[in-house]
Amino acid sequence: MPANRPALTRRAILEQCVALGSVAIVAASPAAAMLDAFEQHEKDYHRPTPPNELGPFYKKNAPVTSTFRAPGDPGIPLVVSGQVFNTRGDQLTGAVLEVWQTDHLGHYDLDGYRYRGKVALDKTAAYKLDSVMPGHYPDRVCQHVHFAVTAPGHKPLVTQLYFGTDPVFEGDPDHNFKRDPLIHSRELVRPVMLVGDPHDIQAAVRFELCLEIL
Amino acid sequence: MPRFRGLLGIFLLALAGQLSGQDLKLVKNLTVPPDSEVQFAAVSPKGDLVAAACKDGRVRLWAFPSGEPKLVFDLTDQPISALRFSEDGSLLAVGGVRGAGKIWGVPSGKLKLEFTVGTRIEAFAISPDRTLLAISRQEMPAQLWDISVGRLITDLPAKFSGSLAIAFSPDGQRLASADADTEIRIYEAQTGALRATNSDFLLETFAIGFSPDGKNLYLGGADKTISALDPISGKTVRTFPKQSFVVGDLNISRDGKSIAAAYFDANGFSNPAPVLLWDVATASVRTTIQQNGFTANGGQFLNDGRLLLTSSATGMLQVWSVR
Repeated sequence: MPANRPALTRRAILEQCVALGSVAIVAASPAAAMLDAFEQHEKDYHRPTPPNELGPFYKKNAPVTSTFRAPGDPGIPLVVSGQVFNTRGDQLTGAVLEVWQTDHLGHYDLDGYRYRGKVALDKTAAYKLDSVMPGHYPDRVCQHVHFAVTAPGHKPLVTQLYFGTDPVFEGDPDHNFKRDPLIHSRELVRPVMLVGDPHDIQAAVRFELCLEIL
Repeated sequence: MPRFRGLLGIFLLALAGQLSGQDLKLVKNLTVPPDSEVQFAAVSPKGDLVAAACKDGRVRLWAFPSGEPKLVFDLTDQPISALRFSEDGSLLAVGGVRGAGKIWGVPSGKLKLEFTVGTRIEAFAISPDRTLLAISRQEMPAQLWDISVGRLITDLPAKFSGSLAIAFSPDGQRLASADADTEIRIYEAQTGALRATNSDFLLETFAIGFSPDGKNLYLGGADKTISALDPISGKTVRTFPKQSFVVGDLNISRDGKSIAAAYFDANGFSNPAPVLLWDVATASVRTTIQQNGFTANGGQFLNDGRLLLTSSATGMLQVWSVR
C-alpha cells in the first residue's frame, strides 16, 4: 500500500466491496445489518490449533491431575496454562485434555504415569498444569509436550507444544523452528515467561487449544 | 515400526551386542550407489527378491541370492516410508512420507496402481488374493482399498490419530489394525465392517501379524510384550514375558512355531537392543541375536523356514541368514 494512502477500516473495506460488487447481499435485512453480522462472525472465528503427530508413547487411562511435578523433582518448574475452546469461541468445559511429556532428562515413563495425566478444566474450560521443563528426548530435536484433546461434536486435536527458549532455535524460532522436522507450524513454538528469582526460577507458557467443530 | 522411521529418518531394528558367528551368517552384499544409503528393506516371502528404500528416494530391487540388480522405482517427489511385498511376491507396494503410493508388479516392473492418501503412509498390508490393500496412515484413519479398480472402499477410523500397523488374516477374511489410540480393531476384510475391538493395551502397538493358521493375532509395542489375540473375539488369549525393550517389529515363521521380534530402547532408538527369536509353544526366548556394530533394517521368515535379516553398511545392503 502506498505510504500516503490512508488505511481503510475493515468496515470501510466491506462497504467498498459492496459498492464495487465484490460482495452481493441477498437478504431481507438491510445491508448494514448484514455487514455487521459478517464482521461479527469473522471476529468470532478462532483458528484451530495446528495438529502435530501423536508420537510413539501415548498411554491411555492416565490419572486426572494438574500436578505432574512432585516435591523435589529436578528440572526447571514449568507451568503451562490455557483454555480449551472451539473455532466459534465456545468454551469446551466437557473436553478431555490428556497431556504427557518426558522428565527433565528426556525419558518417558512407560511403566507408570509420571508426567502423564488428564488435566482438569475449570468452569471456563481453562487449565493450569504444574510440571517441569521436559528434557530433550534422544531421538527428537526439540523439547516438547504432547496434548490430545477430545470433545463431543469436535474433531479430536492431537498436537505438541514447543518452547521458544529451546537452545535448538538459538533465540530465533521464527527462522529456526524447522530445525525439528516434526514442527510444521511456528504457532506451536510458544514464548516462555521466566518468573521468580535466579534461585527459584519458574517457566510459564500459555498454550490455547482450539478445536474444529464437526 | 513406521512411526520411528518418521522420528529417526531411518528404520532401526536395533541389533547390537554379541551374536555368535554360528547364529548369524552374512550371505550377500548388495551394492548401492554412493549417497544412497539404505534406510530400510523388505525381503519377499519366497526369498527371491530384496527391496531397499534408499536415502535418494529410490527403491532398489535385487534378485536373491544372485544379487543381480533388477529394478529401480521411485515416487518422484518424496522419500519412501513404507514397503510391502504381497505374500506371493508378485506385487510390491511403496508408500511415501507425503502420502503418495504405488504398487508395482515384480519382477515385471509394471505399474499396477498409483494413489495418494493425504498423509504419510506408515504401513501396508496386501490381501492374500491381492485384491485388497490396507494402508496405515499417520494421524489419519487407516484405509481399505480395492486394488483391482483403484478405489477406496472405506476409512477405518480410530478415536483419534492414525494407525501404526496393519495385517490381513491368511484366509483374507479379516483385517487387523493397530491404532495409535492404543486399540486393536479387527474388521471384515471385504467391507471394512468392524467385527471386534481390543482395548486391553494402554500403550501403542507397533507391530501386528496373524499366525499362518489364522488362529492367533500377534502384536507387540510400547508395553514391551508380545501378546496373542483371538482374531474372532478380539480377546487377549496369551501374553509373552515382558522384556526391557519396546517391540518394534514382528515376523512369524511359516510353521507358526517361531516369532522374530525386533526391539528398541525407549530411551533412544539408536541405543543397542536385541532381536529375539521366540519359541511360540513355550513363550520363551530361543535365541538372542546381537552383534556389535550390526543394526538390522529389515527381515523376513521365508517359506523354507529360514530367517533373513538385512542391514546397512557403507555402499551396500547386507543380507544375513539366521539359524
